[in-house]
Amino acid sequence: MTDLFPILLVASLGTPLAFLAACFVKGWRRQVLALQWLAPTPALATGLAGLTRAPLTYDLPVSGFTLRLDPPSALLLAGAALLWIIISAAIWRDRQPDNRWGLSWLLTMTGNLGVFIAGDLVSFYLLYALASIPAYGLFAFSDDGERKRAGAIYMAFTILGEALLLLAFAMLIAGEPHGSANIADVMAALPTSPWRDAILGLIIAGFGMKMGMIPFNGWMPLTYSAAPIPAAAVLSGAGVKAGVIGLLRFLPLGLPLEGWGDALVVMGFLCAFYGVAFGLVQQNTKVVLAYSSISQMGVIMAAFGVALVKGQAGAALEVGFYAANHLLVKAALFLTIGVLAIRGGRLSRATYILAALLALSLAGLPLTGGALAKIATKAQFAGGAEAVLATLSSIGTAMLMTHFLICLATSPSGAAQECPAGFVPLWPGIALGAILLPWAFYPAVGDISYAFEWGTLVDGLWPVALGVGLALILRRIDRFLPRVPVGDSIVLEEAAFGRLLGIGSSFKALDARLCQWSAACVSLLLITLALLAASL
Amino acid sequence: MTELWTTTPGGYLIVLAILLPLAGIILSFTLGGRSAERVALGSTPFGLALACAIALHVGRAGKPIVYVIGALEPPLGIALRADGISAIMLITTAVIVTAAALYARAKFATPDGIRESRSSLIFWIMLQSIWAALIIIFVSGDLFNLYVALELLTFAAVPLVCIDGRPETLVAALRYLLFALFGSICYLLGVALLYGAHGTLDIPLLAQRVQSTPVVWTAAALMTGGLLAKTALFPLHLWLPPAHANAPAAASAVLSSLVVKGSFFLTLRLWFYVLPGLSADQAAMVIGCLGSAAIIAGSVMALRQARLKLLIAYSTVAQIGYLFLVFPLATGAQSWSAMSWSACFMQILAHAFAKAAMFFSAGLLAEALGHDQIARLGGAARVLPLTFLTIALSGLSLMGLPPSGGFSAKWLMLQASIISGQWFWTLPILAGGLLAAGYVYRILAPALSDDRISLKSSPKRSQEVLALGLAMIAIALGFMPQTFSDILEIGRPIAAALP
Repeated sequence: MTDLFPILLVASLGTPLAFLAACFVKGWRRQVLALQWLAPTPALATGLAGLTRAPLTYDLPVSGFTLRLDPPSALLLAGAALLWIIISAAIWRDRQPDNRWGLSWLLTMTGNLGVFIAGDLVSFYLLYALASIPAYGLFAFSDDGERKRAGAIYMAFTILGEALLLLAFAMLIAGEPHGSANIADVMAALPTSPWRDAILGLIIAGFGMKMGMIPFNGWMPLTYSAAPIPAAAVLSGAGVKAGVIGLLRFLPLGLPLEGWGDALVVMGFLCAFYGVAFGLVQQNTKVVLAYSSISQMGVIMAAFGVALVKGQAGAALEVGFYAANHLLVKAALFLTIGVLAIRGGRLSRATYILAALLALSLAGLPLTGGALAKIATKAQFAGGAEAVLATLSSIGTAMLMTHFLICLATSPSGAAQECPAGFVPLWPGIALGAILLPWAFYPAVGDISYAFEWGTLVDGLWPVALGVGLALILRRIDRFLPRVPVGDSIVLEEAAFGRLLGIGSSFKALDARLCQWSAACVSLLLITLALLAASL
Repeated sequence: MTELWTTTPGGYLIVLAILLPLAGIILSFTLGGRSAERVALGSTPFGLALACAIALHVGRAGKPIVYVIGALEPPLGIALRADGISAIMLITTAVIVTAAALYARAKFATPDGIRESRSSLIFWIMLQSIWAALIIIFVSGDLFNLYVALELLTFAAVPLVCIDGRPETLVAALRYLLFALFGSICYLLGVALLYGAHGTLDIPLLAQRVQSTPVVWTAAALMTGGLLAKTALFPLHLWLPPAHANAPAAASAVLSSLVVKGSFFLTLRLWFYVLPGLSADQAAMVIGCLGSAAIIAGSVMALRQARLKLLIAYSTVAQIGYLFLVFPLATGAQSWSAMSWSACFMQILAHAFAKAAMFFSAGLLAEALGHDQIARLGGAARVLPLTFLTIALSGLSLMGLPPSGGFSAKWLMLQASIISGQWFWTLPILAGGLLAAGYVYRILAPALSDDRISLKSSPKRSQEVLALGLAMIAIALGFMPQTFSDILEIGRPIAAALP
């Protein structure tokens, strides 16, 4: 029997592309967009099947593109596909977003699923751009000033990130002796590449922008608070994982690389604590979750950093699992905001407990998926300063999540309208799924019985308990805390950018000067003389 | 070597390709009125077919096809040669001229009840003249012959700028004409010097004879200066924005995507075909720096324009800048030379198609909305979705995002600059991409917002589809197979440095 797996792999990208193509037929467009929740199903199947398989690289005929799936990317692919299916289905069951929005959604979905299976530089770059740029349409097509601002800032960071990555990729392919664009080949050539350090710097900065690394973190809170809740859920859940897969693919894990590893550890933990600190002073739940993402992505970066220092090749799967857990939980938390807003005042105790379990799962509450994520990355955060910092970051996350639970009492404005009512009956399932699903996937990563050992349970519990306690104390002194604008440093960056725009007027003056006859004739003369001088 | 100076099989195709638009011009003059339009539109498919036939011949033979006029060998006679780059440019030109002709039918059809209208007749004749001039530029193997074609190109392009006779268009056209004449004089002086020193103007013959002497360098500097003026390389761009922004949309498209490429093509011929032996590293560096300055200054100026057509025109100033990076990157016979060479032509093609699509869309917008102020485009994408799809797709190529020809060009250029150790060129390339994203965003973001806008008239569907088609080509260029680079290398002399 022939192996059907490559076909499935091609279909995971081909199906969303086919949906896109079908949108060109005007009569079908509405129907196709409404049915787009079906588009990620092959990707889900591929992800699940790929979890336990050997890595597969498949060259697409004609186009020269390559697809690649290994267990870490399969994990992320499965999680992302599941998220896209559930959220798309719920949105289009209840309401009919206009075609502009629906198309942005489908484009983002295509790129987001594709980026996990892209196997060569060009297709990775293409799909990465597709996962980032059309997302603008999910929240910024509006006449609301704050949304426009968020959109412009999102776009600026996205395009800047793309430019850095373009240069990094060009260096990667230039360092490959045979000119192959295959990611496996260019990564094999990276250690001996003369541009190794420049490449790594650009890779970290480029994907760091996607992951909200400071000082490029300002767009994230702005975007998530501007985006309607379902969009914020997929962007924070699946969207930022495009950055994680980027680091996964383009950091030379398995090769001890001390300098860059240490830098990444420092940067990662910096972001982890920065996110907690700045999240604690925010009141809008969507913004708090955004800062939590900054913090969590920082933890992921730190884990990658340790893996680089120690040369752990296996870290890809372990960090991938951590990211997949964040993918499910963060999306579920965003939906929680919407669902609680719709249900309004009368909430049962069960609802609160479920929401609390979900939120604290992110901090690694024992027996939740988050605890598994923490255990998965224990090889990275074992012993030494890393272990202390990781525990501190757990405490911080527990504080931030408690703060989030407290803020849940007041819904952000418009949350009830943004969130389709269909999520209300689904929500308990979604929340439980986010807490429990990681258990189903964990056997692909490690030994599950470890999670039930007494020591593990205690190690998991006390930072969470401490964090919750600290957050409750912090609440008492809430009014003494400073008020920080959403997106913190972005305000300074915007001011600097405004200053930079001022240069434009001097360009205009220069241009006006150069466009005079006398100036142009002198330029012509000077250019001719310069060319003559070049012969000397 | 004598095969360069004897007619090869298929050589007659070059003659046919030149004669077709020339015959069209004469026919249009004699028949006049409505027939000019019919002749122009009727000849375009044949022109496209001839261009494809030439490309096929060149590709099959793997070497240039030659036609020696009157069987008189150079230096006495004149040879016409179509090599790889000619073939590619001929096809591009034919496609864009065809699109422009079809697009222009709405505006330049002779109105009913009138036997002949001045502007229509001029448009159709000048369009064919531009086409003829470009074909000669792409296939001629003689520097004086090329001068004549260059003049024909200028004299055909200038009337298109002022075709509607408004005072500001006349000023723009005069500016264009005068500065182009400066350029021509410089070029002609250079040609005269070369002829005086070496007694021939045939390109391969000259390439064998030139030495690194002061005369040759003076000639090269003069000719290059002149050609740069005609290509509007920054800071010699004073004529381009007013000329391209004031011409009617169909004409702007041809001017921006093809006419400036004519003089650029000649610059390439000069340095890579006539003077490949000169060790021109420093000259190439000078040109590369001007190109980088053009990318930055043009893009920044595009960001600051209030009118859409001026924005697009300044974007041309910037996009031309990329082309000139080929000089520092493709001299010599190193491994990255071929890469830069393909990058340069990919950029020519991508810009040609994307810019033509942009200008077509700008024309449609101006007619539908009654203005082309960017500040007043709010919500326009809702009422003109197809036009804005076109702008978005061509914008994608201008920014250099995949999949598009613009991306392929920058991707190769970046690689070439890194491999060659000239990493500093990556800065203007990337900065240009960022700035281009800025000016495309300036058009698209307000247009996609929720504002309401009313249309003066709804645009012609056929014109919208034409523009979209060109933008699609700019995107499809991103999937160009390797044969594209192979064809471009046909007939390209590989530098062997002279003492």
